[in-house]
Amino acid sequence: MRQTTRLAARLARGAAVAAVLACPLTLEARAQTNLNNAQILQGLTQATDDEPAITARILRQMAQQAVANNVPLTTDKSTIAQKLDNLAQITVQIQFALNSAIIRPESYATIGSIADALHHPILVGYRFLVVGNTDATGSRKHNLELSQQRADAIVEALATVYGVAPARLEAAGLGQEALQTPNDPTNPVNRRVQIFNIGRQ
Amino acid sequence: MKKQAIGLAALLLLGTAATTSAQTVSFAEAGAVIARSCGPSIERFCSKVNIGNGQVRQCLQQHQDQVPSACIMDYDRVTASIAKRLQAQQGAFKVCNASIREYCPGVKFGDANVLDCLLTARKVVGASCKQALLDAGWQ
Repeated sequence: MRQTTRLAARLARGAAVAAVLACPLTLEARAQTNLNNAQILQGLTQATDDEPAITARILRQMAQQAVANNVPLTTDKSTIAQKLDNLAQITVQIQFALNSAIIRPESYATIGSIADALHHPILVGYRFLVVGNTDATGSRKHNLELSQQRADAIVEALATVYGVAPARLEAAGLGQEALQTPNDPTNPVNRRVQIFNIGRQ
Repeated sequence: MKKQAIGLAALLLLGTAATTSAQTVSFAEAGAVIARSCGPSIERFCSKVNIGNGQVRQCLQQHQDQVPSACIMDYDRVTASIAKRLQAQQGAFKVCNASIREYCPGVKFGDANVLDCLLTARKVVGASCKQALLDAGWQ
């Protein structure tokens, strides 16, 4: 862990741009496997010096408008999506009960791992955005609501079970609006949770 | 044989005294313990509530007649460990203040600089500082 901390710190300080560009790719490739603590810490550490002002509210509004107007959420084109892509981030799979925001016990440890990273001194001064995503099974509106409830449940667990300050956490549900595999929209791989480092407190 | 046993016990005791170990577990391990010990009971009796805000713990209590006592004990044990680790993290740099002044003068807080310095100097930092870093899960 110590070596990882040093590596992460060096990356954060010295090679922020290169690291940020490389980070989403390498971690996305591992998105559906269990990340270990060192990988979570490393993935969330490489913050840029000029974190864009991304908030859960803006993301929620974008997704809600897209669903209400029955148009696609243009996450591939929007400035905000590009900014999101550039943030230090990890993608994890949290198991929920079917069609519900109840976190299954098998994922308590994964949420604990995220808490371990968020409490580390290298990340302790930063805020994080928890984004829930579903696959394209079911209606867009329902998926949007469900993913928001799931993101809220994760934030609630991080704050009340593992003591992460609520002021450091935001939650947004994007439903099926930001599929990881748009050509295979019902693939379970799309059911995922992303954690973004959204800058200093 | 008896002498050997006493010798072994003494050696073990010495080992325990000489080696510091964390008195807390990681948050990941805490979650894993709850899942391992209480998972079946949670799925059976508390599948409609979330772990946040103590809802699962409360639900398990309501079904304590049917929930294994080891589950309740483990749950409370890791809850105490989480609290202790949070406390250790909050107070670690205060406990380490003397070591920071001695071994890390001029190192600025932020980006884990001070922690990195303390870990580099871990062979010489004070015992209480070492223990605090262990309990915080940072060593």
